Amino acid sequence: MTRAEFLQALEESFEVDQGTLEGNETLEDLECWDSMSALIYMALADEKLGITVSGEQIINCKTVNDLLDLLDDKLAA
Amino acid sequence: MDMTGKVMMVTGASSGIGRDTAVLLSQLGARVVLVGRNKDRLSQTLGMLQGTRHTIEAFDLANTDALPEWMKSIVQKSGSIYGIAHCAGTQLMLPVRMLKSQQVEEVLRTNVVSAIMLAKGFRQRGVNDAGGAIVFVSSVMGEVGAPGRSVYCASKSALHALTKSLALELAKDNIRVNCVAPGTLRTEMLEEAQSLLTATQIAEIERMQPLGFGAPRDVAHALAFLLAETGRWITGSVLIVDGGYTAH
Repeated sequence: MTRAEFLQALEESFEVDQGTLEGNETLEDLECWDSMSALIYMALADEKLGITVSGEQIINCKTVNDLLDLLDDKLAA
Repeated sequence: MDMTGKVMMVTGASSGIGRDTAVLLSQLGARVVLVGRNKDRLSQTLGMLQGTRHTIEAFDLANTDALPEWMKSIVQKSGSIYGIAHCAGTQLMLPVRMLKSQQVEEVLRTNVVSAIMLAKGFRQRGVNDAGGAIVFVSSVMGEVGAPGRSVYCASKSALHALTKSLALELAKDNIRVNCVAPGTLRTEMLEEAQSLLTATQIAEIERMQPLGFGAPRDVAHALAFLLAETGRWITGSVLIVDGGYTAH
């Protein structure tokens, strides 16, 4: 799975329009980002890539790209 | 709370509440049948028990159809079972939009169907002939809700309803059925903290419990009280042991 495909999966799960997320967005500015969406992101990381992400790792993320960086080992270029 | 010579089955005896309950029941004189999936971890619990003649039964309670016959086989080895502390269970934290039916079914099978089949197995002739007690371990999440916990909450709430109906149905067999609903324990919190929650979220949960996080022994005491003669006029009850979490 590529970064773009994971981004698309995030958009579908967050129920936002395609193209809403490009990567540079700041999480605290996103209307769709809250504690539930953090759980959704964790579930997607586990389901799509088999990666377990902790709550503490997410708290250190400032942007959508930071979330994707946590999955870099398993995301295709 | 003397339990000398009584055979008590403890499920989920590999860790947490189950392990501590097994230790407490052995200290009260019971012969304990330790049930769990992992034989090595059950052996660790066995080494912590007081007294002798305790046994280990490695069994997956999700194997619900085989459960009643399996209980008969235990009685042949250990003698008639007086009580069950059903501490085994599973958790799930996932928003409803991400749920798959298979995940829901797995939680309900582990937390609800197993409890029902355990009760069915317990009341069989030859397993329990002189009356006794069952105590299920649910959660405060069976009384209140939490985002992302809908399936878990539903499964624990189901145990509360199950407790009341079984209490009425099994009273004529001289079997009492009760439930203990714990709040958040320090051990469980540590496990969850590593996977799902931030330090801030953990602190928020602790703030909601006026007496702070509990310990497995706090819940074990309640289980022992309900299983022993001290609970002889108590059936169909859900005893909340939560450090004040649901008092809000």
